[in-house]
Amino acid sequence: MSAQRSQTLFGHRWLLYELTRREIFSRYAGSAGGLAWTVLQPLAQLAIFAFVFSQVFRATVPPAYTGVTYTGFVAVALWPWIMFSESVQRGMAAVAANAGLIRKVALPCELFVYASVIACYAIHLAGFAGVLVVLRLTGENIRLEGVPVALLLMVPYVLLATGVSLALGSLHTIVRDVEHGTGLVLTIVFYATPILYPITFVPEAWRGLVMANPVAHLSERLREVLLTGPSLTGSDLLVTLACAAVFAAGLWTFRRLSPYFEDFL
Amino acid sequence: MSGPALVRLAGVTKDYPKLATDADRLRTLVSLLVGRGERPHFRALEDIGLEVRAGESVGLIGENGAGKSTLLKIIAGVVRPTRGTVEVQGRVSALLELGSGFHPDYTGRENIFLSSAVMGLSRREARSKVDAIIEFADIGSHIDEPIKHYSSGMVVRLGFAVATALRPELLITDEVLAVGDESFQKKCVQWLQGYLDGGGTLLLCSHSMYHVQTLCRKTLWVHHGRARAFGESFDVTREYLTYHEEKRRSDAKPAAAVPGNMPRIESAWIEDATGARRATFRQGESLVVQGVAFEPDGRSPVVLFGIVRADGTPVYGSPSSEAGFVPAAAGDRRFAFAVRFDSLALLPGKYTLRLHALDPEGLRLFDTVENEFVVTGETRDFGLVRMQHAWTQGRAR
Repeated sequence: MSAQRSQTLFGHRWLLYELTRREIFSRYAGSAGGLAWTVLQPLAQLAIFAFVFSQVFRATVPPAYTGVTYTGFVAVALWPWIMFSESVQRGMAAVAANAGLIRKVALPCELFVYASVIACYAIHLAGFAGVLVVLRLTGENIRLEGVPVALLLMVPYVLLATGVSLALGSLHTIVRDVEHGTGLVLTIVFYATPILYPITFVPEAWRGLVMANPVAHLSERLREVLLTGPSLTGSDLLVTLACAAVFAAGLWTFRRLSPYFEDFL
Repeated sequence: MSGPALVRLAGVTKDYPKLATDADRLRTLVSLLVGRGERPHFRALEDIGLEVRAGESVGLIGENGAGKSTLLKIIAGVVRPTRGTVEVQGRVSALLELGSGFHPDYTGRENIFLSSAVMGLSRREARSKVDAIIEFADIGSHIDEPIKHYSSGMVVRLGFAVATALRPELLITDEVLAVGDESFQKKCVQWLQGYLDGGGTLLLCSHSMYHVQTLCRKTLWVHHGRARAFGESFDVTREYLTYHEEKRRSDAKPAAAVPGNMPRIESAWIEDATGARRATFRQGESLVVQGVAFEPDGRSPVVLFGIVRADGTPVYGSPSSEAGFVPAAAGDRRFAFAVRFDSLALLPGKYTLRLHALDPEGLRLFDTVENEFVVTGETRDFGLVRMQHAWTQGRAR
């Protein structure tokens, strides 16, 4: 182990800042629309879902959520999901994408994953905030007092995304199949998560299985908090612990494999 | 002169995985995760030990693929050795191969900030250095273009400029000087000399024996992943060049077996007045060059000698025809000759003696054979040779 690799995260704070900054600004470098695309894409997705499900399938909002249209109902859970799935995909590919640097400069490879995840969340949190304001202005019953608790609930969500990114990223560096598999799994998880529908729509027998997925729990809870007001439950703590465990496992895997990255890049 | 050890390697061995098939990949992944099991591999480095103290400059030489770059990467902390210990102290800046640790998609300016951040500098600290870096790199408006559009020379310019500004305690450079143009090379060598004089520590990997000799006091020769020689730069580089000379000779044997129909120097060596072969002489001693020339028509060839300093500065040269000397036949179209330098006037330093075989008319030059030698001595004289002179009392007008 050489001296450089074992430096603390704090010692590398400027590097993390630099990488994140660059990650944000380079995202749409060379495109005229710039960062606008980061908002347009989820907006388009939301519009499609809102149209297909509320107009075509005639999906309705459960009575527990008063004063909210289907659009608002989907938006509050869709945005956090987009942050999650995008940061997993980008975080996972971060090591391979920065191969040129990793092979020449001694720095902790985790930083690239962190920078990707932080950049994704920074961009989409800004977008999310804008969307919430717009929804509120158009008369949707968005409970602003729920925002602080929602941010609190984002912490385990971010931990989960980072842990999954670290684990998949380190495996991806060695076996390139991981990238293809991840896209597929994320699609499955998206539809298996109560984002487009409330958990009450899921048959009783399946509900336990669906809610075992921390993303499902967090999506439901974010919706509750933002549409019906702030609250914290004991299961939130449980999910936080589970997400922290995923993060720890991801970090362990990553640190186990990262000394060998250079051999494979 | 030399301080505490900045780099200490012991028993460093590096195996790279062999990843020819997907099965190899999976097997390697599993064995990495569980921490045991056979991994298909090849050995890039074996049992390397090295100590570099603060203020030292160490050269690293070896053939392509010998493991030099891997060794530098291990010292730079980019690669972890399979076995052995690596201790590196102090701020390290590494210019490894082309690209020098830049992100190809970032602009030059962004890469300056990135490299500074790698060294732990804040953005504000980096900003104070940017102008100096851009000035040293001297690549004009390209600084705001992505690195991937740079020429290799420009990348090295920027890499070197960043290294100069960050003032590392240990600077690792891997064959970076070779890419820059003549004037930039000079600028770099000059900077490196200043850096070393200021107490900096340098690890230089180069195929230019001239750079190794001028910049490094000690040199490590890596051969097929093992340390083949370590010691004074001059000794090691000479051994290395001899190795190449021999290799070339053995490679070229089939072709050389057909005697060329051109004059050539068949053998040449340097000896002292007693006839003992030597490569080191004290200033003022006698040096004798002995040689055998071959002339296909059996006519006496013209021989030309030239002495150049290690940096290529010509000192003196003269053809045998100038002195009216005609080498005597030594059987089978061969001609022996000797040149004697009594009380060697050369100042202490490293020199190369070149011998050239010309046709009997002295018009065409065919062959060059080089012999290196060192002149030692303590003197404050400067220049190339000691000129006969005498100090006397002067007149006021």
